[in-house]
Formats: sequence, structure tokens, C-alpha cells
Amino acid sequence: MRERNIMLLHYATGLGILVFGAVHVFVVFFTYPLQGTIWETTLKFDNIPFAILPVYRNAILAASLWGLLLCTTIHSMNGLRVIFLELLGERAAMRVVSRVLYLVGAIIMIYGTRTIIVANMIT
Amino acid sequence: MQKVVFRVKRYIPERGPKSYYEEFEVPFRRGMTVLDGLIYIKENLENTLSIRYSCRMAICGSCGMRINGIEMLACNTQVAELGVPIITVEPMRNFPLLKDLVVNMDEMFIKQRRLKTWLVRRDTEEQDNPTSQYLQSDEELVRYLQFSYCIQCGLCYSACPVVATFPKFYGPQPLMKSYRYIADSRDEGGRERLGLVDTSEGVWRCHFAGSCSKVCPKGVDPALAIQLLRRRVLTS
Amino acid sequence: MGLFLVHNERTRASVIQSLKVMLYPAKYGLERWSYVLQRISGVVVSLYFIAHVVETGNFVGGPTVWGPVSYEAAKRSYEAAEALLKNPVFDIGLGIIGFLVAFHTFNGIRLILAHFGVTLGKPSRPEPPYLPASFSNKQRAIFWLSIAAGVFAILYTIDSLMGVFR
Repeated sequence: MRERNIMLLHYATGLGILVFGAVHVFVVFFTYPLQGTIWETTLKFDNIPFAILPVYRNAILAASLWGLLLCTTIHSMNGLRVIFLELLGERAAMRVVSRVLYLVGAIIMIYGTRTIIVANMIT
Repeated sequence: MQKVVFRVKRYIPERGPKSYYEEFEVPFRRGMTVLDGLIYIKENLENTLSIRYSCRMAICGSCGMRINGIEMLACNTQVAELGVPIITVEPMRNFPLLKDLVVNMDEMFIKQRRLKTWLVRRDTEEQDNPTSQYLQSDEELVRYLQFSYCIQCGLCYSACPVVATFPKFYGPQPLMKSYRYIADSRDEGGRERLGLVDTSEGVWRCHFAGSCSKVCPKGVDPALAIQLLRRRVLTS
Repeated sequence: MGLFLVHNERTRASVIQSLKVMLYPAKYGLERWSYVLQRISGVVVSLYFIAHVVETGNFVGGPTVWGPVSYEAAKRSYEAAEALLKNPVFDIGLGIIGFLVAFHTFNGIRLILAHFGVTLGKPSRPEPPYLPASFSNKQRAIFWLSIAAGVFAILYTIDSLMGVFR
């Protein structure tokens, strides 16, 4: 991919994180009753509207969580690629680093998607 | 303040690859610039000190160096305005060092040439034997005038953190110069130049650290030029 | 002449030296600080993100679980993971992550705008004292906004995890 398209993707995924991340942070940090800490409310497993299990069971929230996973993976792996590129330049090690970052990104996507699907199917 | 101490970074290739600092005491006088101090050292204390200077009035761009850790023109910096008794003088970064405070600036000029930083006209016949003047309005002039004030001193190139880490990056000065011609209404080589800067070594390596504009002694603002260049790249 | 010139062009820099320049923000003004902080926060948040995916994976039973789980098993592994993470060290760590995320977000918006030439000044006739148009107040205001957002985030996160300000 050309550098221009990569950087446009970087901007786009950054804005994607802004949207999906806002949903994620809002659900966890801005919906709990102010009497307790979030350990006692939204970070409990069940019972509260935005506790862990209800969040994953809600199709829209789970989908936005997957969008956040995708955007963050692309954005962070590309960000690390830029930093490594500027540190290593044209060295042979850069090609290794680039492949490792692709691999790490793929593993994060597969593992994270599995977590969302499995948590969605808890019976 | 009677005396100022100049802590000069010395590098003499014949005496081995290591640089070292040498201190000189220079009598202070009112209105003395750092360059005056260095010339005093060369004339009276240590005549092997190598410096490069010419006009002594911030026009030629020869005496760029790092003074107290930041890039400045030695002729344009008064000792009194620094306000410290010890002045550390180092050569510019990001250039191969030749001797003492003298660096080889070829790299920047090669990159500049690669980006076609001259007026490109499709009708070269007409350019060689012009039949009329290339007229410009005042607004068209202001669009690039600021960027044409560059004296090619290399301070921005030395200050840029990306050039320091990734030497293949074109650097602030060549990219700025490229934009200066793209923004010129008389120029017709814009498309070609945009193709050259729209690469991994071009505008995309600029992360707007702003150090180039911070150190520029002529108010050229390379950071602004590169952002505007990137905008041209994105909208073309 | 051409060959001689090409020979003098550097193609690589020492990695240690590069890191020193990349991570040292002083003396070059606010934009350089933004560059360094954006890099550091990006790397730290990326590492946190990886750790977060691993840790939420543990909430449903770790990397061996690839099919449906029962409610009891999921609740058990969730509570085991929760017991590990529920202590002040992780709470304060998450507060710092909150600062970095909020800073990186708003500073990222500022950088996207600046990269498109928005919020910067226009080229003008240079006159002393040569204030660069790219160091515009708008762009700097967004930088300070991102610092403020980061401070709010660290306070809010630590408060909501530990309840210290109530």
C-alpha cells in the first residue's frame, strides 16, 4: 500500500476509535451510580444494565466493541510501524519488524473477536 | 560581565574520531555576537579552530551552529541576550561533521535538487526567449514570498527530529522549497513535484514537531509550508 | 562531482542516538513536546491495548476456550481475573492510561487538523519578530485542551475506581 493511503487509513481509524472508544468509555465509566466505585457496579459480571455480561450480549454494543478492536489494532500497529521505520530506516530488521507487527495485529484480531463471540454466547 | 567562557566542541579528524570540549575565556564587550567571540578565539587563542562564516549579518546562512543546545546563527545571536556566563557551541546535527564547527551540507542540497526546486515552465522555448513578463498579483506573491526568504542555513534541517532518526526523509528545507515553487503562480511543475513528495520519505514523515519553525532565523516557517504541501497532496 | 556528493549522503542513523533525539523534547517549544508525548502515549497505550485484549480474554476462561461457555464457568473465571486486577497499583495505572488516552485523542485531532492545514495561520510577509504562523493560538489551544482532558481523565478514572474524591 502507498504511504498516502496508509496515513489516510491512520487518520480514519483514529476517528473510528474516537467514535467507538467514546461508546466504550461512556458505557464503562459514565453510567454507574455515583454511590459506589465502578468495581462494585459496571465492572461486576452481571445484574446492572451496563455490567460486563449485558454489554457483550447487546448486539449493538458488541458490534461497536468489535469496531473499536479493529480500528485500534490497525491504528496501533501502524503507529508502531511508523516509529520503528523512523528508528530503523532501511535496515533489514525493519522488514522483520513489519512482519511481526502484521502477525501481532492478526493474533489480536482473532483473539479479541473470539472473546467477543464467546462472551456473547454465554448461556 | 567581564569575561565569557566559550565551551566549544572540537573535532579534528587527524587526531582521531572523538570530539571533545575546549574552554576559552573571551573578554566581553557590548554588542558582541557569538561569532565575534569565535573570531576572537581564532585570532588570539586557538588558530586551529575551524568556523564557517561570511556576511556577519544573517544574510548568507554560513554560520549555523548549536548555541546552548539550540540551533542559531552565530552572527545573529548576541552574547548578552543569551544571559549566561558559559556558552556552549556545537556543530549542527544531522550533517556529516568535517572539522570543529564545520559540517558538510551537501545532503540537504542534493535533496533540494531532487525535488526540482526551480521554476518549471512547459514552454521552455518561451522561457529562454521571453516575449513578455510573468505578471503576478499581490495575493499571488504573498502565497510564497515568506518561503522564498530562506537563506539555506540548514538550521531547520539540524533541528528536525525526524531527519535525526530517519536520514532518508527529505527534511524541512527541501520540502518547504518545493512548496515555495508549487505555490508560485508562474510555475507549471506542481503535479510532478507532488508526485515526488507523496512518498514514504516525503511529506508523510513530517509529524509537525515544529522545531524547524522554532529555529528559523528568517521567519520562513517550514512547518507551515509542509502542512500546506500535505494539503495539496491530499487534494490533488 | 555528482558521485562525490551522493557519497556524502547519510542513509542511516545510530538507533541509540535516534532514540535520544526522539525522546528529548526540551528547548524546541510546545510542538516538540506534543511530538514526544504523542509518541510515548501512543506506544504505552498500544501496549495497554494488547494487555487489555489478553486480560479480557481471561475473563471468559483464557486462550483454551473457543466454544460456548456456561454462565457459572464464565462467572468463575471472571471473578478470578477480577481478584487479580482489583488493587491500587492497577487502579493508578489505569488512571495514567486514562491521561495518555485522553491526551492522545485530543492531540491526535489537533494533528489531523494541522496536517490538513486547518487551524494554522496563512503565509504572510515575514516581518520581525518573525512569529511562525504555524504556531497559531487555535492549534496551541487544542494542545492545552488535550492536557486538560488528560488531567480530567486521570482524576475521573482514579475517582471512579477508588472513590477517593467522594
